[in-house]
Amino acid sequence: MATDNATDGGFGEVSRVRGIVFEYLSLGASVAGLVALGVLLVYVAIDAFDLADASPEWLLTYFLTLVVPFLAFCLYSAGDRAVTRRALGVLGGGLVAVAALFTAVEAFVVEIPRLSWQLTYLFVVAAPVTAYLAYVGSRGRVGAVGFGLVGRLVGGAAIGLAVGTLFLVFDELVWFLAYTLGVFPAAVLYAYGRWRSAGRAMTAAAPVGLVGIVAAVFLRGVIATYPSDLLIYIWTLAVPIAVVGAVVVDGRGSRIAAAAAGGVPLAVATAGGFLAGGFGVPGPTALIVLIAVGVPTAVYVHRAIDEGDGLIGLGLPFLLVVGALVGALVVEAWGVPAPDPWLDVGFVTGSPSRTAADAGLYPAIVGSVIIIALVAVLSFVLGVGTSIFLEEYTAESGLIGSLTRLLQVNIANLAAIPSVVYGLLGLGLFANLLGLGFGTAVTASLTLSLLILPITIISAQEAIRSVPEDLRRGSDAMGATRWQTTKNVVLPEALPGILTGTILALGRAIGETAPLIMIGAATTVFSAPDSLFSKFSAMPMQIYAWAGFPQAEFRYGVVAAGVITLLVILVGMNGTAILLRNRAERGN
Amino acid sequence: MTDSTESPDLQRRSGLRRLKEGTYGGFFAACAAVTLLTTVAIFVTLLSDAVVFFQEIAIAEFLTGTNWSPNPAGGGQAFGIIPLLIGTLTVTITAACIALPIGTLTAIYLSEYASPNARSILKPLLEVLAGIPTVVYGYFALVYITPALKATVFPEMSTFNALSASIMVGIMTIPMVSSISEDAMSAVPDELRQAGYGLGATKFEVSTGIVVPASISGIASSYILAVSRAIGETMIVVVAMGAQARMPAVQEAIFGIPYINPADILLESGMTITVAMVQIAQSDLTGGTIPYDSMFALGLSLFVVTLVMNVISDIIAERYREEY
Amino acid sequence: MSNTETSDSLITTDVETGANERSATTDATAVAARDLDVYYGDEQAIDGVSMEIPENRVTALIGPSGCGKSTFLRCINRMNDMIEICRVEGDVEFGGKNVYDADVDPVALRRKIGMVFQKPNPFPKSIRDNVAYGLKIQGFDGDVDERVEESLKGAALWDEVKDQLGSSGLELSGGQQQRLCIARAIAPDPEVILMDEPTSALDPVAASKIEDLIDDLAEEYTVIIVTHNMQQAARISDRTAVFLTGGRLVEYDDTTKIFEDPEEQRVEDYITGKFG
Repeated sequence: MATDNATDGGFGEVSRVRGIVFEYLSLGASVAGLVALGVLLVYVAIDAFDLADASPEWLLTYFLTLVVPFLAFCLYSAGDRAVTRRALGVLGGGLVAVAALFTAVEAFVVEIPRLSWQLTYLFVVAAPVTAYLAYVGSRGRVGAVGFGLVGRLVGGAAIGLAVGTLFLVFDELVWFLAYTLGVFPAAVLYAYGRWRSAGRAMTAAAPVGLVGIVAAVFLRGVIATYPSDLLIYIWTLAVPIAVVGAVVVDGRGSRIAAAAAGGVPLAVATAGGFLAGGFGVPGPTALIVLIAVGVPTAVYVHRAIDEGDGLIGLGLPFLLVVGALVGALVVEAWGVPAPDPWLDVGFVTGSPSRTAADAGLYPAIVGSVIIIALVAVLSFVLGVGTSIFLEEYTAESGLIGSLTRLLQVNIANLAAIPSVVYGLLGLGLFANLLGLGFGTAVTASLTLSLLILPITIISAQEAIRSVPEDLRRGSDAMGATRWQTTKNVVLPEALPGILTGTILALGRAIGETAPLIMIGAATTVFSAPDSLFSKFSAMPMQIYAWAGFPQAEFRYGVVAAGVITLLVILVGMNGTAILLRNRAERGN
Repeated sequence: MTDSTESPDLQRRSGLRRLKEGTYGGFFAACAAVTLLTTVAIFVTLLSDAVVFFQEIAIAEFLTGTNWSPNPAGGGQAFGIIPLLIGTLTVTITAACIALPIGTLTAIYLSEYASPNARSILKPLLEVLAGIPTVVYGYFALVYITPALKATVFPEMSTFNALSASIMVGIMTIPMVSSISEDAMSAVPDELRQAGYGLGATKFEVSTGIVVPASISGIASSYILAVSRAIGETMIVVVAMGAQARMPAVQEAIFGIPYINPADILLESGMTITVAMVQIAQSDLTGGTIPYDSMFALGLSLFVVTLVMNVISDIIAERYREEY
Repeated sequence: MSNTETSDSLITTDVETGANERSATTDATAVAARDLDVYYGDEQAIDGVSMEIPENRVTALIGPSGCGKSTFLRCINRMNDMIEICRVEGDVEFGGKNVYDADVDPVALRRKIGMVFQKPNPFPKSIRDNVAYGLKIQGFDGDVDERVEESLKGAALWDEVKDQLGSSGLELSGGQQQRLCIARAIAPDPEVILMDEPTSALDPVAASKIEDLIDDLAEEYTVIIVTHNMQQAARISDRTAVFLTGGRLVEYDDTTKIFEDPEEQRVEDYITGKFG
């Protein structure tokens, strides 16, 4: 406001107080929701891991053996003195500030439940600094190599576990026949066609594969004897994955390395598969996880060695494992009182129980994985198909033009319909009318697919629209048909964006609860589903059920563990999506 | 080079390629048709059962009844939507009181004040708020917010209450308000801002006096969308608000003016339309009973309300897109 | 078929080497327009254009911006079909066949006519796959690698990229990208190559390389080039068509005639820079 306090013939001054207050007010509003969520997440983490009972010595031990070496690794990778100075300053200054502030608040204002100044330091100072340094470190070559390796280890294990889970529901014998009669011959034909530039062999691949798969379905009942599960998985999963790995390495030049990159993980996985039974782990699962971890890791390590830069980063997994082991050893040796986390191996592999200590999430995790796998396939196909139609196959005017606008408005409206209404659709249409059953995995998958379809379509449309028009015209001018342009030019360019959008939409599907309740999904099942038509539960359903239990151990312990599990899976999926997008953006 | 007297072969192909092209085009059109069919299916599914329901229960009774008890223990079913509307309105209004101001301020900050760097960090982080599963928000409200409020501000609060649930619904809908409003504010041409600065306006005056009025239709459309989202929100209220369909007690103040104590609604358990649907779905439902059909009648009301709001929001948003 | 009046000039008499040495009167017709009108909605972009474009020659279309020269170019391979509000009346004959006849498949047509755009638009694929693109979509049965090599040599790019055929076409410089696009256009062995201001997005050195290349291309192909650079038209073309506002073809003759002694005053004004 221009106030007339002009002094000494100057221009006067305009008061900025209101503006400054407003700026900070809006800044505060921007972060208010995030801060609230952050505090709640801290409490859930404390409850899930029983950190309220963690002694300061326990925290210190792991801080020194696990966090400090990791920070040192990141700082080494960043190789920037200024960053190091800043990080140490914040860590040290934060320690003093948090301790002083926390004690003062507790003494003079109000007691803060289930938090100590050590925990506060951990969450408010150490965690953000670690995240920041991990980000800075990942931009250095050493850090990139290290995080890449850890990412492949963790991601491979996650994918391996998910694939193993799917075979709980899908008939592995049909898969065996389909692979042997359809997929394998088709792949061989295609590879031969590419190698010899024989177009005919490549064209024949698709029909051969289809015939083989159809034959497999018919032969399933006719053939009586099959190899053991483990042999099936070795033949249908481990060998092809190993071959793909070997081919990738071979493409970079080295024959021997290729054989090693494929052969070593294959041998290890096979051995692991046969020996796993002795440790109470199912052999096929061990095999699939080992091969899913081993091959990408081997390929990655070969590439890192090939490029020969930042090799020391390959030590990051060892650093973390050794740190954890040393920490455990120290805790054991000195008898440091350790917390008893709710979220442990038993929770993830156990079945629900009436007693909190025994409760587990396993059947619900399996249910979620199966539903999400089906939803992924359905919504990807439908979403990409629709967006291609809307972006590539329609006209702007005329009858088709009006139809397109109608579709577009309709999709926007579908996105705004409450999820509970989709539940009624599933109940009325899929469960009742089509007879797919109340609370079955099929009904749930179909319902959730329709629910996230609008989001998938909208993001896929954006991805397709971002492909430059130049490229389309270039392809058209070469005499490409519409489908050829779409397949050869548009889709390859748009794919990363489409995948990112689909994964983000799947994140929405994995947390949806209301539609599942409406279609009659079970809140609690005690064993994992074994077919698409069996009753199932999903992670959010189980969390909902537990949240209704009156006992404090359930409310503050078991549910918190479930929430953290769900959020970790969600973060993993979204993180993958964002990595994909960033990589695609960097590629351009 | 061909001789020019011989016409090149430019005929339409009737063979395999045409078939292939047609198949792909047909497949994509079929995918697109699924989205239309979904809308039709939702409408038909809801309507067919709702019609059966309204044959049993008169529409007027449904819309004006003040008692909702679909599965009473001792007889006396009643299907009056008023208590559910009160519950839904309570949550929606309270959530709006949180989400609309915070969301608007956030949008102003992002579009006018934030550095590009801060914006690129804040925007995706805010989207996280909308990405957390709602059942988790419900759990937060029940297990952390309610005890915290009880220990500090409202000792008389009941375990299941509307306030905690509404706070969480509000936080969840912040990004909906902020991202659409920010889009609208960013679409305001820079010339308008320059004109303001040229007249000696401060940044605050430009933000609130020029940018906000210029983008008002976008902001309004974001409000409507956020409110429609709050109306349809299910899991947060199911977990944290309880399931008691109740009418608030009407009290008399001086001069006999009737009023309702807000605490009587906010700090107590209540039931929204969505909670009523979930509650029936969780009882042993069989098709063909009145409670089962009432679920679809409720769903239809919800569907119509959210659809209308979405269309209104679309029309308003269309206006700001035309303006610039 | 209204091709009778060209039957007396069917005999191609001589084999030439340089552009301006090619005699430009005794050639067969590759492309002919007859009373061509093009409308964008209500606006007329081409007004009654008739012209015959000779085979194995470079024909330049010049004129001020908005005069319809690019529109004319895009009528030849029916790229205007992509624009919904575009309406075409009259005939465009390619090899004696009206390309706007109902039984003509625009896709089949474009496979016989290559096109190079103003801005280089290589696909985000390897150099090899870029050149092989046309072969791939047409189901070419022969030796792809051999054809890729020939085409890259034809586009004067082979020596620069022969060791990096697997790397992305986007890694090349602007001029190299445009030559890659030319290689892509000639790989399926079209009869006509359309060029829409192919050098206007390039620096002078890269542009002159393309000009040399166009000269060589005319040995084998009919080249029709839109340009707003009059020196360029004078340097490389055998025939020049001048379009002026309103989409009218004002004058069409041998390039030397157009630039030295135009019939129309307006054309002279335009060429000497008095307007446009």
